[in-house]
Amino acid sequence: MGHTRLRFLGVVAAAFMLVAACGSSTSSPPAKQYKVGLVTDIGGLNDKSFNHLAYVGLQKAITDLSVKGDVTESKSGDDYVPNLTNFASKGYDLVIGVGFLMAEAIGTVSGQFPNIHFAIIDGAGTDAKGNDLKHANVQSLFFSEQDAGALVGVVAGMLEKQGKAKKNAHVIGAVGGISIPPVNHYIAGYKWAATMEDPGIKVLIGYSNDFVDPAKCKGVAQGQISAKADILFQVAGQCGLGVLQAAGQNSVYSIGVDADQKDSDPSVILSALKKVDVATYTAIKGVVNGQFKAGALTFNVANDGAGYAIDNFSLPADIQTEVDNVKAKIKSGALTPPSDIPA
Amino acid sequence: MSVVSEILHLLVTASLWNQVLAAAVLLLLPALGGVISERSGVVNIAMEGMMLTGAFFAVVADLGLHNPWLATLVAMAAGGLMALIHAVVSIRFRADQIVSGIAINIFAAGLTVFLVNRIYGIQDVGHASYSELLPSLNIPVLEQIPFIGHVFFQQNVIVYVALVLLVLVHVVLFRTRLGLRIRAVGEHPQAADTAGINVYAIRYGAVITSGLLSGLAGAFLAIGVSNTFVPNMTDGRGYIALAAMIFGKWTPFGAFVACLIFGLGEAIYANNSIIHVSPYLLSMLPYLLTLIVLAGVVGRSNPPAADGIPYVAGSE
Repeated sequence: MGHTRLRFLGVVAAAFMLVAACGSSTSSPPAKQYKVGLVTDIGGLNDKSFNHLAYVGLQKAITDLSVKGDVTESKSGDDYVPNLTNFASKGYDLVIGVGFLMAEAIGTVSGQFPNIHFAIIDGAGTDAKGNDLKHANVQSLFFSEQDAGALVGVVAGMLEKQGKAKKNAHVIGAVGGISIPPVNHYIAGYKWAATMEDPGIKVLIGYSNDFVDPAKCKGVAQGQISAKADILFQVAGQCGLGVLQAAGQNSVYSIGVDADQKDSDPSVILSALKKVDVATYTAIKGVVNGQFKAGALTFNVANDGAGYAIDNFSLPADIQTEVDNVKAKIKSGALTPPSDIPA
Repeated sequence: MSVVSEILHLLVTASLWNQVLAAAVLLLLPALGGVISERSGVVNIAMEGMMLTGAFFAVVADLGLHNPWLATLVAMAAGGLMALIHAVVSIRFRADQIVSGIAINIFAAGLTVFLVNRIYGIQDVGHASYSELLPSLNIPVLEQIPFIGHVFFQQNVIVYVALVLLVLVHVVLFRTRLGLRIRAVGEHPQAADTAGINVYAIRYGAVITSGLLSGLAGAFLAIGVSNTFVPNMTDGRGYIALAAMIFGKWTPFGAFVACLIFGLGEAIYANNSIIHVSPYLLSMLPYLLTLIVLAGVVGRSNPPAADGIPYVAGSE
């Protein structure tokens, strides 16, 4: 009967239809008001991470700068170009793409609409090979995630060195989503700083290959816990919620990412912060004030675009002192966390 | 060389096999649903959507009722309702069952995201606390057995339920009168009808059962393995279950073996912090294993003869 073949055709068709079903938006605006379109990546607005934070930044701009803001959530990678094009073709003043995964889409669409301003979180407008096209209408909002990673790495390293974590085996872990620069910057800073504080430490690094499904990240986290890791840093968006949960269920410590993830699990002792809201607001403000600048704008510890939060934990005074010390040195340039994961 | 020894070392750890079994059960439940539905002659590719719906309603109910057991029942009911839609469309209205299944998968993906935004706005959905999760259950005495104890007897309660269901579905399908009727309806509905079997009732029952099982899998995923709902969190598991069903030649134990193979691939992948191979290469593992096994071991896989063909009473 050929049902099996039909079935697979069906699955393929479903995938295409999913793509086609996405990409809606609203409009019909009054004149004389700046219009900002925000396109999320596949994480969606509920990711409690950078898409959410970009939206918070947009909300602030709507309130403080009286711009009109619209959002489109992308359901798959194939939505990026149509969603961006939709805003650009309607004459929005600024179209913001959230996330490194949208770099190529921004590159494509910004080339087609040279008179529209674009901004992208965590990336540049690139060609298919990842080369920056350097379009004059694209602003890249980068973060020194390694700064935030280093600050939480200092705490992790000192806890291990002092034997204050659960297993006292000098093993910590980091669970990344996909091995892409913004993820690896965090892990690079984390490993670098932890090793600086506790030279005998072993840092396990794994990837879930996913930013969505918590069960996948939980599996990777359990693997690291089995290998004696007792502090786990999640760098995997919503998927990473599974890391926090695995840590909680095994009574080890975890570290949240991007936003303050204090409420996600009692095991969260710290969060490494990446202030995407600040960056989004800054980009919108630039356009409204007529001061749009193409090229890279980097947010780091020095300009308060990266940092950390202390969560379900009371940080011992000596560790606090060391974190403050390292933070001051990064600000002054005396220490520079690496952006590539050290060997 | 060291990679091979890393993998071999991993293969003899009990914690790996503990992960394998848990991952396999997530696939086994919808696969069993698929087996039942298709044995009765209704093609079902909608397990993904039913599971996703179940996952969503499990979380909503759990956060509202603070009781994982009630939440699991709600999830099963939600999965069953989605299945009922598929049943009405494909049995009552004799629509194309593939199209109906696709529609349900897309509908479920859209519905859950829509409801997340309606109910929770842009805020996080929220997390079930530990007491609100389907618990892990260590079986006394048995859990003390070296290796075996950790693998089989230190699992989530749903894992045990699934293993019981596996045996139950096998026994019902192949050892009872009801099972004979289900299979008769799936192979030759005209003959079954002539023998006095209510073809429509059997098919409705089978399709709805597949929804209940998929909803249960959704609850396990959302409030057993995880503690929250994330849009599209089923992540294709319903489709993999479908492959497991075909791979297992529409038998419960065959499907279970397939689920274990997928689970093994997933669990090895999950240990990529310890195995020093590209994570991309490891993530291909479950699918690579499938191809190898399908090509070499399983041989030709034939669905029930009347699978996918709507039954019209009195037709030849």
